[in-house]
Amino acid sequence: MITIAEFKCVCQTETFILTNQRALYWDKEKALVLSDLHVGKAATFRKHGIPISKAVLEDDLKRLNQLILHFNAEKLIIVGDLFHAEHNSDIDYFEDWLASFENLKVELILGNHDKLQTELYTRMHLGVFQPKKDTDNLSFIHDAVAKNTKQFTVSGHTHPGVLIKGKAKQRFKLPCYQITEQQLILPAFSLFTGLNVANAPKNCKQIAFTDNLIFEV
Amino acid sequence: MSTFKTTEGYQIIENWMHSKNQEPFSFQYKTWQKYHSGYSGLVVAPTGFGKTFSVFIAVVIDYLNQPEQYKKGLKLIWISPLRSLAKDLAKAMNEAVDEIGLDWQIEVRNGDTPTKDRRRQERLMPDVLLTTPETLHLLFSQKKNSRWFKNVKCVAVDEWHELLGSKRGVLTELAIARIKNLTKQLQIWGISATIGNLQEAQEVLIPYKDLKTIQIKAKEKKKIKIVSILPDDVETLPWAGHLGRSLSSKIVPVIYENNTTLIFTNTRNQSELWYQIILEEEPDLIGQIAIHHGSIARDQRNWIEEAISNGQLKAVICTSSLDLGVDFKPVDSVIQIGSAKGIARFLQRAGRSGHSPFEISKIYAVPTHLLELIEVSAVKEAVKQNEIEAKPPMVLTYDVMVQFLVTLAVGEGFDRDKIYKLLKETFVFSYLTLEEFNWAIHFITQGGTTLNAYEEFHKVVLDEKDGLYKVKSRRISMLHRMNIGVIFSEAMLMVKFKSGGYIGMVEEYFISKLKPGQSFILSGRVLELSTVKDMQVLVKSSKAKKAITPSWNGGRLPLTSYLTHFLRLKLNDALQANNREPELKFLHPMLIRQAKTSHIPKSDEFLVELMQTKDGFHLFMYPFEGRLVNEIMASLMAYRISKIKPLTFTIAMNDYGFELLSDQEMPLNEDIIHSILSIENLMEDVTASINASEMASRKFRDIAVVAGLVVQSQPGTRKNNKSLQSSSGLIFRVLEEYEPNNLLLKQAYTEVFNQQLEEVRLRAAFERISKSKIVVKQTKGFTPLSFPLKVDSLRNSMSNEDLSKRIERIKKQMFKFEE
Repeated sequence: MITIAEFKCVCQTETFILTNQRALYWDKEKALVLSDLHVGKAATFRKHGIPISKAVLEDDLKRLNQLILHFNAEKLIIVGDLFHAEHNSDIDYFEDWLASFENLKVELILGNHDKLQTELYTRMHLGVFQPKKDTDNLSFIHDAVAKNTKQFTVSGHTHPGVLIKGKAKQRFKLPCYQITEQQLILPAFSLFTGLNVANAPKNCKQIAFTDNLIFEV
Repeated sequence: MSTFKTTEGYQIIENWMHSKNQEPFSFQYKTWQKYHSGYSGLVVAPTGFGKTFSVFIAVVIDYLNQPEQYKKGLKLIWISPLRSLAKDLAKAMNEAVDEIGLDWQIEVRNGDTPTKDRRRQERLMPDVLLTTPETLHLLFSQKKNSRWFKNVKCVAVDEWHELLGSKRGVLTELAIARIKNLTKQLQIWGISATIGNLQEAQEVLIPYKDLKTIQIKAKEKKKIKIVSILPDDVETLPWAGHLGRSLSSKIVPVIYENNTTLIFTNTRNQSELWYQIILEEEPDLIGQIAIHHGSIARDQRNWIEEAISNGQLKAVICTSSLDLGVDFKPVDSVIQIGSAKGIARFLQRAGRSGHSPFEISKIYAVPTHLLELIEVSAVKEAVKQNEIEAKPPMVLTYDVMVQFLVTLAVGEGFDRDKIYKLLKETFVFSYLTLEEFNWAIHFITQGGTTLNAYEEFHKVVLDEKDGLYKVKSRRISMLHRMNIGVIFSEAMLMVKFKSGGYIGMVEEYFISKLKPGQSFILSGRVLELSTVKDMQVLVKSSKAKKAITPSWNGGRLPLTSYLTHFLRLKLNDALQANNREPELKFLHPMLIRQAKTSHIPKSDEFLVELMQTKDGFHLFMYPFEGRLVNEIMASLMAYRISKIKPLTFTIAMNDYGFELLSDQEMPLNEDIIHSILSIENLMEDVTASINASEMASRKFRDIAVVAGLVVQSQPGTRKNNKSLQSSSGLIFRVLEEYEPNNLLLKQAYTEVFNQQLEEVRLRAAFERISKSKIVVKQTKGFTPLSFPLKVDSLRNSMSNEDLSKRIERIKKQMFKFEE
């Protein structure tokens, strides 16, 4: 069992519950918002002769499952890199997993890794958006590089992390959410991803987390 | 005896040498004779005495005596550790066979060989191939490769001491094993400089019971003159640091007094800096000095090497890039900046000067800080006593086995039983169990032990038709060929002028810290960063006076165990007030200061310093055991203290001692200090502390690359396999979680043990400490011994505290989080 720790956060007009399990819950829409699940990454490695267990994906999906149950979420908004590369057995596994939910709506904003054929998205009943999905107050996009919209963006892509330095030259890295006046960057959902501690946006709040804690840095 | 002398082959060689007014050295003659009688063996000779021709001419004589025994194609495979060595060696060999009147093709094949030459060689191999261990394995990965090797008569391994003890040495052992399997009556010869374990070196190279073996040692000795360059007054040298700038004025005269000087530094970074320092000191030398290191463009390096040979340069600042290689005739002096960290390396470098037989090698030792004076003195003592380090061979390197099996599977495929037998015959895998071998087969065919968790993993498959294990996927074959070899490198980027022209390489992480417009130094030039595109760094010349010098990772060598022994002796000598050794005299002011601020440990004392600063609580100990063993001791101390009270430590270590730093007070008093330094449960606690530290995960970096778990990006190529990028740390975590019994993980831990720990030494150190009087001093500030740990050390951390608790405390303490 995982521990779900929550951190409430108001971004302009919206209220989000950030969790330490790498996804945020948006109560108004009964939606879980997450990024960079990279389904198929382990299988891509296996196909190329690097043995990475399928359990990597299974554990990611178990975690997502618990989050859905915990919040009674009705919708997933995935801001990109749901899939890692071409079609493979991990993706079939994901399709089966998804089919076990009767009323779960999934929206995918395509990321740079999402290169599956359109039929597959249709078959999985994914609502696909490219390059972004706009709502009244928010814009969901994979990589919010150039800020040219007035809207608040929710994005992923960078796999943000924060380097924490303590007394006695202690240092360690933790994954985090990065929040500014105009944007929120989600951590990568999959545990089989690296961390990027450089290039945080200017003046951003960083909400870091561990297996049982979530806190503002 | 006389029968060999009367053979036609020997007669031809004797005449040839007579015509040049030469006579063979006795070790050369003995090698020819023993080769003639079917022996394999190891030739031990100093450089400059024609050790190449000992083995090479032996094969020539044998061929001249019985040409009918030789078939078309490869006869002799010459393995050398360095690419640059091969070209000049081939030239010398070609000249010799021309003069002797033999129509042999002698060619080089390595990473620099153009594709069209390689294809031509694959159609018809030359008679002699000069190559590297990696290139041989690449040949094994080609289709129908065994046809090239079936008529090979001899494999010679040049500079075997350089390969031994590394994974490249293991690649060499495996290559020889395979070639021996494909031929009849192979003779195996090694050529080595003197090391501490020559007998073992020979057994590793030639473990085969069916071969007659012999060791041939040259009587000829190289004379070496060691000169210490000392400052004029005692206050000049700093307590710590590694640049040694203060002695630059003493170096320029040395350059002028000699024809050509090689100036060795320990890192590429230092060589770039020293190039600037020397030019500042003596601007007239511009154009007469050059830099040579592994990150400088190959063309440039070739040019420099030629310029040295032709006597066009007064001095070359270099790194280990010129440790080995062709004889540079004009070089008559060598300067070693800082400590060479080992006796063998020091001698090797000294030997680069005065290359002709009977000439004297001259080496100037330049200390960069005070404690290094003791190292200089220790090296001199070791040379005097003729004590040279042993190179312990590697055993059971599962990563190289995995790579080798896949290499064979990519090539012709392999038979499971035959390859197990082949591996068992080598030295490295002589203790391989069937269970471990089966694990490796399972690993490359199934991926892991969990049923169904490795769908779509078909790296190596068993071909039911012929019973051979093969790689069928072209993608996997390609990826594997790109990753053959065992040299781990950081992601490197090529540096080019915007207007064209390649300058060298820098590590990706260095460039990632620079912004366009900033300047850095490479190859002695100040460059301004324009853009980074397609794995290339585009730059233009800069007029900036100040610029950053890239620090290439690696290259920080630990002191060898032999040298630490002499170091402790000399430190003890230094304490005698009437010591007359010039190097040690300079230490007196520093020792007085150490006595004032803390204590000078006598030979029967062990010093522990405690200190509190705004950083936290510090504990210093000085075992003088070299960095690797000090690191192990530091982890052990951290582990034992944290058993008393959970704590988080930052660990810093250098060759002399180590520091434990914690944000909370350590539970220490005299009794506890005695108990943590106890020899009881030593190995159990060491094992536990290694498991708790980051050491294994660090060792896993190159294991992951060798075993093909991390795809290396090739410098300069645009293909970067983006979808396969991952760090070895991530793979380490995934394996620990899902495949805890993976042998590659086990190897990471045993490598820490075997390479770093040297149980005997650690035990001896603890015995020494247990007999010593432990002196605990509270100090107010850094002492001459602890200061170097503050400014110049490698850091690590270890914690057995709960992460949440650590975070809570850090939040309370100072709230100093940064991006």
